[in-house]
Amino acid sequence: MASIIHKGNSKMTDLKQMLLSGFDDININIPEDNRMVVSTKKESVLSILIYLKKFGYNHFALVSCNDWIDDNEFELIYIVSAYQKNDEQYQDIEKSSIIVKTRISREKAKFITIIDIFENAEPYEREIHEMFGINFEGHPRLTPLMLERNYKIPPFRKDFDTNKYVENTFGKIPSIKERKEGNK
Amino acid sequence: MDRNKISKWLKNPGKMAHKYSFHVVYFCTGCGIIEIPPSITARWDAERFGIIPVATPRQANLFLITGYVSTKTLKAIIRTYEQMPDPKYTVALGSCPINGGMYYDSYNTITSLDKYIPVDGYIAGCMPRPEAIFIGVTHLWKLIDMDKADGYKRYREDYVHYRANQEQLFGELEWPPLFIKEIVK
Repeated sequence: MASIIHKGNSKMTDLKQMLLSGFDDININIPEDNRMVVSTKKESVLSILIYLKKFGYNHFALVSCNDWIDDNEFELIYIVSAYQKNDEQYQDIEKSSIIVKTRISREKAKFITIIDIFENAEPYEREIHEMFGINFEGHPRLTPLMLERNYKIPPFRKDFDTNKYVENTFGKIPSIKERKEGNK
Repeated sequence: MDRNKISKWLKNPGKMAHKYSFHVVYFCTGCGIIEIPPSITARWDAERFGIIPVATPRQANLFLITGYVSTKTLKAIIRTYEQMPDPKYTVALGSCPINGGMYYDSYNTITSLDKYIPVDGYIAGCMPRPEAIFIGVTHLWKLIDMDKADGYKRYREDYVHYRANQEQLFGELEWPPLFIKEIVK
């Protein structure tokens, strides 16, 4: 068992060396076995994802987003892994997942869509557009996905004051008793 | 059978029939729906109390709302409630429909359900066990006996106010008012 983990790690370190030689301005660390975190500038995200897809990481798990309000930045997180093809010949690459992180500014909240590389990113990008207000350029339909009310600030941003919002919308609706007394 | 109750039943047989044959439409919001499959199947067997789940709201007279209500599902809840024939009773499970529960500051969850539709009873808990649901049902029997489960009457009387609350939340509603005369008045 230990040897397998060791082998997996060696594969990871190989990939790390290849990424470091191929791309500038990237920061790679391996926090635990079979997991690699690549933080990079926003210009090289697409090329890194294409590179990883060619390398065998062809399963796109999700896009996520963080709001770092103190740094005035959004962080986009892409997670890719490899498809599990065969249980008996469980390859090292199939156990590992790679996290690609990048930061974009909060004022110009826009980024390029990655639908051309991974098609299943479409609903995730729609959700992030809805919840964080990030505009993905080139996305075919950035229509509402889950919300149907209009919010001035997208509700997952840190400066969206939920208590105030609840007071102003649900709190201001009177109960039936109050409404009847008011009419009289 | 208790003979003393026969005269009571004969006084108002319709009420007795409503009491002992609840046809339930479950509105599967939130986590409360997890409690429903054990309570309607063999372990707790809701049919002992005359409770049967039905397919459509048009056959139902008890409306169980099982958990938090988001603004999007509130529309569906109102439309389901308005489709049910009278007499109809509404029971809300859990603490979320009462005052929002743990979602009190959510951007998308309404804080109290009885501003939008009348609620006859709440079963508190997070979530209530099947036993609590049956205690709630037996309590609802008492309320029906005492004519206190009058949510559908209140909805008819105060429809203007309920509709006003719904419109204040949603803006324009997609469906016409249920009781047109009341609105004109």
